[in-house]
Amino acid sequence: MTSTKTGPSNVLSGLSRARKGIGLGGRSEHQPRPPRRLSSRIITLALLVFPSVFLVVLIYGYPAIYAVIESLHNGNLVQTGPYVALHNFWIDFHNPVFWHSVRFTVVYCVVGVFGSWLVGLGLALLLRKRMHARSFFKTLLLLPWVVPVVVTATAWNWLVATPSSPVPRIAQDLGFGQLLFLASPGLAEFIVCVYKIWLSFPFMMLMASAALAGVEEHLYEAARVDGAGAWQLFRRITLPLIARSTYISWILMFIFCIGDFQSIYLLTGGGPVSSTNTLVVLSYETVFGDFQTGPGVAIGIIMLLISVLVSVILFRRIKKVQIS
Amino acid sequence: MSITTPVTFEEGPAAPPRGAKTKKAPDNWTSPQWRYTLTVLVIVLILLIPVFVTVILAFRPQLQSTSHSYFTLENFRYVFSQTGVLTWLRNSLIVTLATVLVAVCIAAPAGYVLSRGRSKAVSGYALLLFIAQSFPQIVSVVPLFVLFAKFNLDDNLLGLAIVYVSSTISVATWMMAAYFDTIPVALEEAAWIDGCSLFKGFVRIVLRNSLPGVLSAAIFAFLLAWSDFLIAVVFLRSDSNFTLPIGLQTFFSTNSTEWGYVMAVSVVVMVPPIIVFSFLNRYFSIGGIGGSLAGR
Repeated sequence: MTSTKTGPSNVLSGLSRARKGIGLGGRSEHQPRPPRRLSSRIITLALLVFPSVFLVVLIYGYPAIYAVIESLHNGNLVQTGPYVALHNFWIDFHNPVFWHSVRFTVVYCVVGVFGSWLVGLGLALLLRKRMHARSFFKTLLLLPWVVPVVVTATAWNWLVATPSSPVPRIAQDLGFGQLLFLASPGLAEFIVCVYKIWLSFPFMMLMASAALAGVEEHLYEAARVDGAGAWQLFRRITLPLIARSTYISWILMFIFCIGDFQSIYLLTGGGPVSSTNTLVVLSYETVFGDFQTGPGVAIGIIMLLISVLVSVILFRRIKKVQIS
Repeated sequence: MSITTPVTFEEGPAAPPRGAKTKKAPDNWTSPQWRYTLTVLVIVLILLIPVFVTVILAFRPQLQSTSHSYFTLENFRYVFSQTGVLTWLRNSLIVTLATVLVAVCIAAPAGYVLSRGRSKAVSGYALLLFIAQSFPQIVSVVPLFVLFAKFNLDDNLLGLAIVYVSSTISVATWMMAAYFDTIPVALEEAAWIDGCSLFKGFVRIVLRNSLPGVLSAAIFAFLLAWSDFLIAVVFLRSDSNFTLPIGLQTFFSTNSTEWGYVMAVSVVVMVPPIIVFSFLNRYFSIGGIGGSLAGR
């Protein structure tokens, strides 16, 4: 083909030729190979991906190894200290606060994932209806996710923390008595979970909206003709069609929840009496509050093992989730 | 759309919807369209109470002040003139912009490899990204603090930006790959046949047509870097290096919190991401990352 032989051609002319179909003519004779030899393609791809791999290994790989070493030593932030084998883990396992944190981490993740999913999916479905100013509402509903956590945690604190805050006063007027939302362990756990749902539903709404956009209206019409009700439409058509995306959004949200530090730390600081400590907050408090680097990093290692294990298993399963 | 407003007069399905509708089937307050609008409006108003509270308190006079008006700029005047808010704002902007630029420059080529490459190594890389995303930051923060201290990168905005880039890299790469997937390979093939190198093909053909993908990743990096608290609170020690989220916390250290000042700073913290989002929202798409995360 002439187009491939004639002189040094630039990209634009290549594109225009492609549009005219000349490029496609060349395709039938030559394999549409990447330029030159295969090895040069691999080298280019490797160079393109190198910075990213380098960064990931430096910022995740190195600390992982260092953290494993630290968790086996009785040191501090400056020195590694003497080798103590698994003593740090032993300390953690005999600490009742640790087990409470494990329990609350599970609660926090489950409520965070499924609570925000329910709210997000509900809103995404509602926003599919015909209404005025829909895109404006959509943008507004993203605010809890867009506004930094430091700000919203402050606002939530102002709303619920002290007895004279608005929400406790309203609760009192409604006859619930004097509720100290962030001072009694049970209520504090509840508020932290509600706050997490409030923070995360926009993300779920975005994921659900994107998935729902791919569900075609005519599928519903056929089912409606057959006499299916709204719930059946949702259960039999909508849910199966968005199953894959839903599953992925659960996984991502699980990862966000289990590693989440700032929303709990800024709202309650892990209190009262460590009731809202998740493993991340406990790890931070142990290292930077109690200066027990070994046990604190050991908690981090336990978390690392759990979250990487769980997410690798889930990652392998994504491919198997099919539209049924 | 069988359940919308009943059209009583001529029911031409191809009739221009807006003009025709308002005239012929009056859009009254009981129509489903308005019912949904009002429902969503009420939900939005309730859900955004914390945001409204922040703004209202920022513009309200302090309790002990003698002023009787309901609106004042006094809180802002105070925090801008008496505290380090301007410095923190500058620090936050520097760190965030640096993060966004570097993250895009690293994630774009990586996303291209993820999108176009088909081999065991690429699947391995996809898994690596996934593990990096599920890596709890609390584990890396202590070792990184020790490592960065050796290079004087602790208490340093550059060190902060490096960590932020790495924590945005997974999602940013998925977003890029998701967008590159929508660009037909045939375009590049045409360029290769004309002797264009793989790299040139990527930059001049794929990247040039990927503004929405690039912006998605940039917005995500912006949000993450702007609102981070954990890395900043561990790394930053000196007041002049604080970013806004850390600076905001200094207002809580006293016994009685001056909520007016706190909320004024809060407004300063939340305005930039809101501006970014309200202008670039239509480019932001997160839905595709599922496909690029799972597709290989």
